[in-house]
Amino acid sequence: MNRDDMIKNSPLRLLNPDMNGGGVQQRMGLLMARAGVGKTAVLVQIALDSLLRGNKVLHVTIGQSFAKTKIWYEDIFKDLVNSFQLENAYEVFNEIMPQRMIMTFNVSSFSRPKLEERLNDLIYQNIFRPNCLVIDGFDFEILGRQALVDLRELMETMDLHMWFSAVSHRKDNRVSEAGVPAPCHEIDDLFDTIILLKPESEEKSIALDIIKDTTGSTAPGKLLSLDPSTLMIKKA
Amino acid sequence: MKKNLERVRNIGISAHIDSGKTTLTERILFYTQRIHAIHEVRGKDGVGAKMDSMELEKERGITIQSAATYCSWKNHEINIIDTPGHVDFTIEVERALRVLDGAVLILCSVGGVQSQSITVNRQMGRYKVPRIAFINKCDRTGANPERVTQQLRDKLGLNAVSLQLPIGLEGNLKGIVDLVTMKALYFEGENGEIIREDEIPAELVDEANTKREELLDAASMFSDDLMEAALEGTPTPEMISDAVRKGTTSLELTPVFVGSAYKNKGVQPLLDAVNSYLPTPSDINNIALDLDNNEQEVSLKSDYNEPLVCLAFKLEDGRYGQLTYIRVYQGTMKKGDTLVNNRTGKKVKVGRLVRMHADEMEEIEESGAGDIVALFGVDCASGDTFTASEINYSMSSMHVPASVISLAIIPADNKAQVNMSKALNRFTKEDPTFRTFVDEETNETIISGMGELHLEVYIERMKREYNADVEIGPPQVAYRETITQQADFNYTHKKQSGGAGQFGRVAGYMEPLEEGDYEFVDKIVGGVIPREYIPSCDKGFKKSLAKGALAGFVVTGVRVVINDGSSHSVDSSDIAFRQAAVGAFKEGFSKAKPVLMEPIMKVAVEGPSEFQGGVMGSLNQRRGIIIGTFEEGEYTVVEAEVPLSEMFGYSTVLRSLTQGKAEFTMEFSSYKHVPKNVAEELIKEAQQKKQKN
Repeated sequence: MNRDDMIKNSPLRLLNPDMNGGGVQQRMGLLMARAGVGKTAVLVQIALDSLLRGNKVLHVTIGQSFAKTKIWYEDIFKDLVNSFQLENAYEVFNEIMPQRMIMTFNVSSFSRPKLEERLNDLIYQNIFRPNCLVIDGFDFEILGRQALVDLRELMETMDLHMWFSAVSHRKDNRVSEAGVPAPCHEIDDLFDTIILLKPESEEKSIALDIIKDTTGSTAPGKLLSLDPSTLMIKKA
Repeated sequence: MKKNLERVRNIGISAHIDSGKTTLTERILFYTQRIHAIHEVRGKDGVGAKMDSMELEKERGITIQSAATYCSWKNHEINIIDTPGHVDFTIEVERALRVLDGAVLILCSVGGVQSQSITVNRQMGRYKVPRIAFINKCDRTGANPERVTQQLRDKLGLNAVSLQLPIGLEGNLKGIVDLVTMKALYFEGENGEIIREDEIPAELVDEANTKREELLDAASMFSDDLMEAALEGTPTPEMISDAVRKGTTSLELTPVFVGSAYKNKGVQPLLDAVNSYLPTPSDINNIALDLDNNEQEVSLKSDYNEPLVCLAFKLEDGRYGQLTYIRVYQGTMKKGDTLVNNRTGKKVKVGRLVRMHADEMEEIEESGAGDIVALFGVDCASGDTFTASEINYSMSSMHVPASVISLAIIPADNKAQVNMSKALNRFTKEDPTFRTFVDEETNETIISGMGELHLEVYIERMKREYNADVEIGPPQVAYRETITQQADFNYTHKKQSGGAGQFGRVAGYMEPLEEGDYEFVDKIVGGVIPREYIPSCDKGFKKSLAKGALAGFVVTGVRVVINDGSSHSVDSSDIAFRQAAVGAFKEGFSKAKPVLMEPIMKVAVEGPSEFQGGVMGSLNQRRGIIIGTFEEGEYTVVEAEVPLSEMFGYSTVLRSLTQGKAEFTMEFSSYKHVPKNVAEELIKEAQQKKQKN
């Protein structure tokens, strides 16, 4: 399979229909799950799909190491290559990697002004202007609504495709009307798309339950799932 | 001399430059009574620390060559390899790591884990070297061993666990708390040689208890006995030590020690830790390749009665002649024995056998598995394997990176010329990443290596040790040429100018080769090119590789396939087919979309966060691709891939950009295509140079 076929056949087309000639759709997405279910794996697959479609991706990691994040990309890419039998895998990898940038922050020192400052450094000096931004490990309990309102504004001005991950806790039963668990139950209106990662019965698969989408590019429901052994996204 | 291998340790001391390796080694030698006075690296007394035996190292206050030294501590024999900390000398570090069974990773309690420590740690990981960490310089202002321990976890991904706690910090550093025995240790006497054991100071008891809990939690992962005992509240120091040892030797745990070598604090407990936690030679599974059996891997046995296998890991030209450092992996080596060098097949006789103590030595009669010794008068290159004649093993080949930078050296006079060739001969044998050749066109001697500093050090050594006064040309990047698509060739070489003529026709195709530099495939059928001329074709192609048609750089990554041709019964000859192949290569190469390739370096810049925008800008201007940024306390590290050609003079730029507060390291990453506009410049330059000549 070549790169175009791989894009066409990706299960992620159910979530992000391919815009003509790549490109991204403005969207603020949220991916929620309990710890250890596979949020990072899903984010990296969304990022790789975007990279393959010719976009620039900025991957912001809060609390995880730089080296680990790099390894995530390498591992997931290898799995993609195997499952799609991608030709020229090495060349493709070399082509897309310069389009990806990783920024890691310590949990204690992360703040919205800091992220903005970094982004500005990149954009004003014309070093890197992302089309797709994934933020893994954003602490919704500490950073309040205003931070997200600002990020949404950033998304609009920069025309970004943006994804967040959030951890939900077993003990916290608060849920929004739309079914979004804490700590995001009071800010769910700010997101265009919300997906819950839910381990299914006997843990044979993990469902990607799309509980909200206002972009019109996907339908709500369990269209996709995650293979619990490889953490690869597949059609449900 | 049959000794107990349980009591042998071959260790390296490896770290970031300036974190105090040499001072620590000096103290170790003092406490183990190998030396009787303490000198400083940048000593005022002009003697200098013992391990820095080269004059240049003394002057710069850095360690360049790893010298091996031997000492004994509490009935254990310890061989110490002092290793350089600068990334430009990584082959030295890597070669030293190859022969080690364990290592002490030294960190500065102020500077913490810096980018060079990351490189060194990665190298240790590659050679599976178990390590313990020593956080040195706890007497310095700003010392924070806790932060450094956390960095070991975050930055190096080590399961770092404190085994000690400092009593006081900075100017108040008084001693250490041993969390295994729960005792306070104080270092008294003029040079801290008297250790006084005492109760833990009251103000540290709580902290010590918490830290000990953490230690027990981490260590009990490696011992069920300890886990049970910890639950019952009865763990003994022996149980803890055993568990920590298991964790350390299996590379799953990194015990952390603290102290200040300069202030003579914490060195003896570190030596105890070397004995207690680092592996013995027989704990390590060393692999050799059986050359008689298709390079099958064989495990070596740390047994004196097995046939001998040893590795020459370092050559030195000392005042006593050529010295070859050897690590014995298996068997016994006696004075007078005959060994075989498996690379050359030559036999060598063991003449003088010595144990080295920095630049003094001790004659010995024999040595056995697990030992590190030195031989005199053996002709070999470093990395060569010596064995007993009944086996033909080679220690697995070491990873030798390609050189990325070169420059011309011109001797000032005849005497310098002679000395220079002596020096070059020695250096190339010592260091496989340092290469030299004569450029046929300019007749200049070219040296090439891993970085600017790497070459600078050799030029300095040439001047100092060999008295060879040389002038140097500007550094040149080692560009390469390669092809990007398949292309056919069909070339006839014909020459008739009276007398015997020349005739040969060679046809086939060339295509990109993903791995390796060159491959020749003969698909000639029916003898259209006579058998005896096939090697001539190969030679002609090989000759063409030396200078590419684009800009005269070496051509790599090409597979040449010949499948047709013709010959003439009288006029065909070796030379005719060689010429035909040269012509064919030229024809094919120009059609195969040739491109220039350049070395790309992995660059890591570490500095205060407020400068990271500027740093990224500066890397971006240098055609760098920023891979990412990560934070370390107040510091941010920017990692990027930058073409080497753009990195000349970067240290000056970085200094002025960051008020001297940032530092950078770089190492070779890969060869990548040169962008079109840059390639055009290079090609133009090459053409101008050609016209001038």
